[in-house]
Amino acid sequence: MSEFATLASPYSMPAALHGDVDLTDPEAQTRSRALDQFLAGVELKAFKIAQAALRHEDDALDAVQDAMLQLARAYANRPAQEWKPLFYRILENRIRDMQRRRTVRGRVMAWFPFRGDEDEEEPDPISQAVSPDPQPVRRLELDEAVGALEKALGELPRRQQQAFLLRTLEGLDVAETAAAMGCSEGSVKTHYFRAVRALRAQLGDLYV
Amino acid sequence: MSPLNETLTEFERNARAVLTQSVSRIDARTRSRLNQARQAALAAAGARRRSLSWRSLTLMPVTGAAAAAVLVVLLWHHEPAGIEMPMPEAQRSTVEDMDLLADNEALELIEGWDGPFYEWAAAQTEANAESDG
Repeated sequence: MSEFATLASPYSMPAALHGDVDLTDPEAQTRSRALDQFLAGVELKAFKIAQAALRHEDDALDAVQDAMLQLARAYANRPAQEWKPLFYRILENRIRDMQRRRTVRGRVMAWFPFRGDEDEEEPDPISQAVSPDPQPVRRLELDEAVGALEKALGELPRRQQQAFLLRTLEGLDVAETAAAMGCSEGSVKTHYFRAVRALRAQLGDLYV
Repeated sequence: MSPLNETLTEFERNARAVLTQSVSRIDARTRSRLNQARQAALAAAGARRRSLSWRSLTLMPVTGAAAAAVLVVLLWHHEPAGIEMPMPEAQRSTVEDMDLLADNEALELIEGWDGPFYEWAAAQTEANAESDG
């Protein structure tokens, strides 16, 4: 949790500088700053979770943005400890909506024999730049491990994928994961256990 | 750190490390866009907060005035149950006249007035009395 907040901090700015916070209201400033820190701490992991589910960078960004907006508009006044399960619940709903819409769009587009590639964009070299990397050999190993894990995650059933990422990446406990997924704690344990078993079966050679 | 760490297997720890690594390698463009999304969300929260406080301040007198107006109207039209309000005599007779005019049977009686028949009947009664006497 804290390492991600540190990662995001260069991009954050004090909430009071937004011009959207009542400078005469210290409580509003405090809350805005807390919300800023919370969102900065979850945005990268949330993006990864959305990307694993949607397998599309722009869609994942849209989903995270929508979740941030909805949390800020509807739940900013809730206690800060409730934000994380709420945020991931909102994100999950958004991901599901986008998947449904994509399914419908796919069915409709299947009727058209010729589909243009206008959505395909040339890769932006700046966007391809990554954070400072370790040594080249180590980087290759990591590339391979990351690629294999992301591929295996992408093949998991959605609920298993969600339980695994919320627990392993985001670090939510069982109760928080259950709140975020809208299911019982028993279901979370089952999904998580099955996810680990499936991933271990597929990636065992790489990870053990 | 999460309590999950206490019970993680080696596989899970490795998977977590790889996921963490993948997060740290998110490119600058994506980070920038996420930052913009966060700023937009914070702005929306600030706008909503201001809107709510503005509404609470401005709608309070409006709501109070509306409630007062409703109360005045209710009191104005309110009549206590079971108590008949006194009616002026002239107004009462006018109302009774209206009742007569609205009564169909009363109109038929007026239209069917036969003056000669009653005069004849009265004359017959007087004649009988004289012959008896």
